[in-house]
Amino acid sequence: MDVFFQQYFDLDVISDNFEFVLKGFAETLQLAILAGILSLVWGLILALLRAAPGRAFAPVRFLSISYIDAMRGIPLLLVILLISGSLPFLPLPESLRIPQWLGKPDPFWYGVMALTLTYGAYMAEVYRAGLDAVPFGQVEAARSLGMNHSQAMRHVIVPQAVRKVIPPLLNDFIALMKDTSLVGVIALIEVVEAGRTVQAETFNSSALTLGAILFIVVTIPLARIVDRQISRQQVRFQRG
Amino acid sequence: MVRVEGLHKRFGKLEVLRGIDLDVRKGEVVCVIGPSGSGKSTLLRCVNLLEPPEEGRILLEGEEITGAGKGKSDHVRRRIGMVFQQFNLFAHKNAIENVSLAQVRVLGRSADEADAKSRALLERVGLSDKVEEYPERLSGGQQQRVAIARALAMDPHVMLFDEVTSALDPELVKEVLDVMRELADEGMTMIVVTHEMGFAREVADRVVFMDEGVVVEQGPPSDVLSNPREERTSRFLGLVLER
Ligand SMILES: Nc1ncnc2c1ncn2[C@@H]1O[C@H](COP(=O)(O)OP(=O)(O)O)[C@@H](O)[C@H]1O
Ligand SMILES: [Mg+2]
Repeated sequence: MDVFFQQYFDLDVISDNFEFVLKGFAETLQLAILAGILSLVWGLILALLRAAPGRAFAPVRFLSISYIDAMRGIPLLLVILLISGSLPFLPLPESLRIPQWLGKPDPFWYGVMALTLTYGAYMAEVYRAGLDAVPFGQVEAARSLGMNHSQAMRHVIVPQAVRKVIPPLLNDFIALMKDTSLVGVIALIEVVEAGRTVQAETFNSSALTLGAILFIVVTIPLARIVDRQISRQQVRFQRG
Repeated sequence: MVRVEGLHKRFGKLEVLRGIDLDVRKGEVVCVIGPSGSGKSTLLRCVNLLEPPEEGRILLEGEEITGAGKGKSDHVRRRIGMVFQQFNLFAHKNAIENVSLAQVRVLGRSADEADAKSRALLERVGLSDKVEEYPERLSGGQQQRVAIARALAMDPHVMLFDEVTSALDPELVKEVLDVMRELADEGMTMIVVTHEMGFAREVADRVVFMDEGVVVEQGPPSDVLSNPREERTSRFLGLVLER
């Protein structure tokens, strides 16, 4: 039992490396928030393209559905490796091939891209469910007032759909946040990679425990917010 | 004002409208009655270009509106107000926002102008004390009156009503019919699908009886409702008046 505590809860290891792991967690949070916001936007765009009306938009619908299906089917780790392994060699300007925007290293940006491409697809599916859940009468009322498709979407359908899907979007955000650890494989020192570095140096896993605790500190309140949102919506639903 | 010529509408194999002709003059109130499934809603939805017909044409103020391009359909709909059985108020907007939204976004009125117009309309339908309420906190009758105000806000040239009191509790029907009666008195051109025979008798200039996608007979309410010529009409009236 002592060995167990020493391996996972060695306070000396934790305090010696606290700052280093915390810095890794800051990287994790930045990656999660940036990719999270971009996924929210990209997902909505995909969902709207998928809902574009009429025969003229059939190719657009087909492309967006294919994209969503493909991205949902490929492991995120592979997407990260594919992007970081080929983007540097594509015939593009250097600032795109090896992006170092805002003082962040290129693995950070490859991570943002991979997470956004993948989670945008997940979130598009969530938005779609929300769009479908808005009663058709709302569309008809909007159209009968002379709104065109995009006005009806923008002012009537999307605002209602987004409200309905805030809880599942938050769930996806929690999942995204945890998946940032995969970006560690391309040498971004996010919190898990930081913990592994310490582990390799000290032959002790306590820095990883610290990483787990840091995650929990953020994800548990988020999960509670999701639950509160869901029960609030249920009350509304019961009231009619 | 509104002229429907030889209108046919199919959903797959089902032919819902089978050659409808209808002529509504300016300021006229036409009540459309008929059994459920006879195509009344579909007719209104075709007039409002929510459904494209397969055959026939529809003219609004002398101009053909069927087969209009997309942008043009949106334009046409501004001149046609429509009120639905299920109210369809925008659930995320309060009463006055419901009435103002399209004024600002479609007609390009300023927020102030739309606001003033919306308040006046809500007062006219007797809801000046509910301006800020959300639909979920309004009774069915109140929601329906907001929906009428919302349609009127676009200054439509003709108003379509599709069984607007059918989803209401009996005690709330009158407040909605009163608003419609006033509108008719002011000279609004109206096509009203309804099961309220009292309203039709009192307010309609003409009653149209539809069955199985055709107009079976039409004429002044005193003829169609009291002395129908057609067997099908009297059978329908017998069933309705029994209740
Ligand atoms: N969008 C639709 N798709 C398929 N069938 C429809 C659709 N709308 C209406 N119908 C059918 O058309 C017929 C007439 O409907 P409707 O116009 O709503 O009749 P009414 O309003 O007189 O009750 C019904 O049989 C109905 O099931
Ligand atoms: Mg109907």
